[in-house]
Amino acid sequence: MNRALRRRARLPPIALFCALLLAAAGSSAAQLAVIGMQLEPPVLDPTASPAAAISECLYGNLYEGLVQFARDGSVQPSLAESWDISEDGMSYVFHLRHDVRFHDGSRFDADAAKFSLDRVNGASSLNAQRSQLQAIRAVEVLDPYTLRVLLHRRSGGLLQSLALGAFVMVSPQSAAGNAAHPVGTGPYRFSNWRRGDSLTLTRNPDFRGPPAALDEVTFKFIAEPTAAFAALMAGDVDAFANYPAPESFAQFAADPRFAVFNGTTEMEVLLSFNERIAPLHDLRVRRAISYALDRRAIIDGAMFGYGTPIGSHFPPANPAYVDLTGVYPHDLAKAKALLAQTAYARGLTLSLKLPPPSYARRGGEIIAAELAQAGIQVKIENLEWAQWLDQVYTRHDFDMSIVGHAEPLDYDIYSREGYYFGYANAEFNALIAALDDTVDPVRRRELLQRIQRKLAEDAVNGFLFQYPRLDVWNRHLEGIGFDNVLGTIEVSRAHYEGRGLSEVRAGGAAGAQPRTALRVLGLAAGIGAMLLGIMTARRLGAAYLAQRLGVLAATLALATAVVFIVVQVVPGDPVRYMLGLQADPDTVAAMRHELRLDAAPLQRYVQWVGGLAHADFGSSYTYRVPVGDLLAERLQLSLPLAMYALLLSSALAFPAGILAAARRGRTTDALLSGITQLGLALPNFWLGMLLVLLFAVSLHWISAGGFPGWQAGLWPALKALTLPAIALAMPQAAILARVLRAALIDTLHEDYIRTARAKGAGEWQVLWRHALPNALVPVLTILGMQFSFLLAGGVIIENVFFLPGLGRLVFQAIVQRDLIVVQSVVVILVFAVVCVSFLVDITYSLVNPQLRAAYE
Amino acid sequence: MSEHTARNWSLAIGAGVTACFIVVALLALFWTPFDPQLLNIVDKLQPPNAHHWLGTDQLGRDVLSLLMGGAKTSVGVALLAVFIGAAAGVPLGLIAAAAQGSVDEAVMRANDLIFAFPALLLAILITAVFGPGAINAVIAIGIFNIPVFARVSRAGALQAWTRDYTLAARVAGKGRWRISWEHILPNLFGLLVVQATIQFSLGVIAEAGLAYVGLGAQPPVPSWGRMLNEAQTLTALAPWLALIPGLAMLSFVLGLNLLGEGLRRGSERAP
Repeated sequence: MNRALRRRARLPPIALFCALLLAAAGSSAAQLAVIGMQLEPPVLDPTASPAAAISECLYGNLYEGLVQFARDGSVQPSLAESWDISEDGMSYVFHLRHDVRFHDGSRFDADAAKFSLDRVNGASSLNAQRSQLQAIRAVEVLDPYTLRVLLHRRSGGLLQSLALGAFVMVSPQSAAGNAAHPVGTGPYRFSNWRRGDSLTLTRNPDFRGPPAALDEVTFKFIAEPTAAFAALMAGDVDAFANYPAPESFAQFAADPRFAVFNGTTEMEVLLSFNERIAPLHDLRVRRAISYALDRRAIIDGAMFGYGTPIGSHFPPANPAYVDLTGVYPHDLAKAKALLAQTAYARGLTLSLKLPPPSYARRGGEIIAAELAQAGIQVKIENLEWAQWLDQVYTRHDFDMSIVGHAEPLDYDIYSREGYYFGYANAEFNALIAALDDTVDPVRRRELLQRIQRKLAEDAVNGFLFQYPRLDVWNRHLEGIGFDNVLGTIEVSRAHYEGRGLSEVRAGGAAGAQPRTALRVLGLAAGIGAMLLGIMTARRLGAAYLAQRLGVLAATLALATAVVFIVVQVVPGDPVRYMLGLQADPDTVAAMRHELRLDAAPLQRYVQWVGGLAHADFGSSYTYRVPVGDLLAERLQLSLPLAMYALLLSSALAFPAGILAAARRGRTTDALLSGITQLGLALPNFWLGMLLVLLFAVSLHWISAGGFPGWQAGLWPALKALTLPAIALAMPQAAILARVLRAALIDTLHEDYIRTARAKGAGEWQVLWRHALPNALVPVLTILGMQFSFLLAGGVIIENVFFLPGLGRLVFQAIVQRDLIVVQSVVVILVFAVVCVSFLVDITYSLVNPQLRAAYE
Repeated sequence: MSEHTARNWSLAIGAGVTACFIVVALLALFWTPFDPQLLNIVDKLQPPNAHHWLGTDQLGRDVLSLLMGGAKTSVGVALLAVFIGAAAGVPLGLIAAAAQGSVDEAVMRANDLIFAFPALLLAILITAVFGPGAINAVIAIGIFNIPVFARVSRAGALQAWTRDYTLAARVAGKGRWRISWEHILPNLFGLLVVQATIQFSLGVIAEAGLAYVGLGAQPPVPSWGRMLNEAQTLTALAPWLALIPGLAMLSFVLGLNLLGEGLRRGSERAP
């Protein structure tokens, strides 16, 4: 290589180094925070979905409403500076702030406010809380900053409703795109959303009030309690809101690096009864069960002591709360006595259907044991959310269940017709009607207390405990607000005390680079396949190739049909699941129509296959984006991870296999055999757990998981994939080593080996030059199979390391009943596997034509 | 160490360990030190001690009893899955080998299709359709055993069809099905037993994997995979909860693999 070339070759690394230095220097002043959250918002528009996660990260930070809640639950001004309520309570006049702009540049004024409110009960509204504003007759613009709201009837809770996330102010220009590109008025604006991974907000420089201290806030979605623990310990997140693992909470409280918050939420955890069916229709049975419950034991066992016992459906933090836990104290004697009076004196069996959260699963086991002591046999059935919504919530096919009701001020569910409890009581309904009609705070308080008492007396449900608010954060991050009525994560006043985070997080074109890389890869693969095809046609005849291709096409067609049929059989309604516990039938119907779920199955199948032909996979139900985009995003991780694992497993297996074959029968061989046996028997998720605990949590060498994206740099991305790849690779390496050893030993018995040896070739030469190439053939088949398994089987590993890959996507999609995504991912994987085996078969028969006859 | 000694070692250790676990699993049907479903919150998270030999979990249940119960679940699920695979797969393989031609092609295509399906995804789908639980885990794992047994018995049968005794039987005028039943099948036993051992060990791992993501046996039925899942957040408080079920699984599968290895080497000597 001549001088000039050498110099040019050296330049890029220097330039890269300088760029990195500059970047690091430039960003050392940047203040960035990463906050962990358990549940990911399905869309970013709180007016189009009831998921609490949306408001949790966006309310107050990105979106604002006309009014907001103060800490004590009273209503305070927000975008409305003040308001006047008429004497008869039928007209409200709001005076709006003059200095507010939306993130898209437009002004916030009375027209925008009218637009936002009219939208709630409009024809195409997907707002799941729309019934709370049904009292509104009309919204009028009096002048650019004055709004008048006229009502049909008095609505005592109107102001409180307006403070909810479902009624935030949106810009008429951009409201339609809020699901994916939210536009609001808050101190932060939207930056980026990597579905399945994280949501990033940046500071809004045009905010009307004091600017936010942080330049950037990233919400990271981590559903698994273990991964949450690991992420905090390893410093991957600076804070965790609603920390999901109470058993390790005390550890953080005692750790000087962390600060914790232990408060309450608006979520009442209930043992809900189905009062339509015989045993639970009887008040005495419900009271007996209530007496048999030991709330303290449930809180200790399921929540490790965190949580406040409740006696009715009302949060203890609310000023109107009255403590009714004494109505049914834990008293087995009373429970048995009550049961003895009923028809079930000899014994009673009830089913208990539990949704996924750990408070339900653990609580369920404890309650089953407690009720058994009173003579009630409980049969536990664990369900996924979609199954729970289908069986318990929609079809009322249950006896008892345990669920947390998180919506604030939701005592009105007890007066809702057809609600899954089946409680229909005229006296209670009258109380709710009176409450709605009352504006006077003293009278309201009185009514609320009567409502609580009525629910307790009638033992409508087993009232267990108020779910605790557990938050953990790094001591250096101050000013985060977790303690508020809506349970949102307030970051407007968050800032770092002392040092700032100096992590380099390069933004930039999130999707462009990897998609181009994928296209290039696809092209290369396509060319390779064509070459292979041409070689086959020449060696084995065009007819043979045509026949094989025909079989391939038939298999693929059959695969799509099978996938479609299997996926359609899955029960559970995606719309019901998405819209949540409080949605009304109109919103459900609107969503069904929007997603074209009302078409016939055959029609949907044909549409889908037609789309597949031009790589159009349809739109995801949950995320409302083209599935192709989701796949491209996830493949960025799953494909490299599978290749990395394949590389690692080959790197481990080849030396081991060759060595074992070379030293067959000796101690080295036995040792390697023992090691590979161990590797085969090791469950890869257990290995993953151990690796995380050793390398991330204890030694801090590698991060506990998550994926920073390829744009953060090659090395950080590979670092994030290393532990998962090792966990995936181990068992595969063991298999590969054994297969290679066996194949090598087999070839060593062949005649040509004997000839080579007779000609004087050394042992290693014999292995390398003669045995290995021939032994590679069966190994190739295994490698091909392994790649497919690695691609698809990473579901469990992706959960241990919270990686946003294909496996995780399809698992979440199945739970959320997002049928289009499930179909597309499974079909892609099946295609990949079938094509890879086809190519391997062709290569196999090319390499050894004698095998063709035996195979056929 | 010669192949012979190695085989003996494998066989001995493998058979010993496997027998141990199977005996424990059978014992768990009748007796465990404590009732594995007995909750005792007061005694939760105890390390191994004289009263509870392997300690207690987060709900106060005895870990040794849970372990024995988990062995029962693992053995039960894996065994049933192997039966399903063999009962459906072996006849398929025999038919394919005997019939040849398009029947053979059809059976092999169907096999490939099942192989093509990512196993875990199908298991998740099945449990989503029919509900999570041990029985559905059996079905999900069993379905994937069918093509394996079909492939193995087809390969073995094809070989057996070229043998002299088969030729003699054909000359004697016996029909294909009779030959398959009377001559081919008995000669496949060695092969099938080895394969069954392999599938059994895979079944144990699969059941644990499904239980780990919550789709296997449901509470109160004990399961090693679920124990591992529950232990993850408790590792700081109770590390033995994560280590013990993992080690149990490791030893059982290791024992099964060694047994299979030993049997395979033994059967390789046979004609």
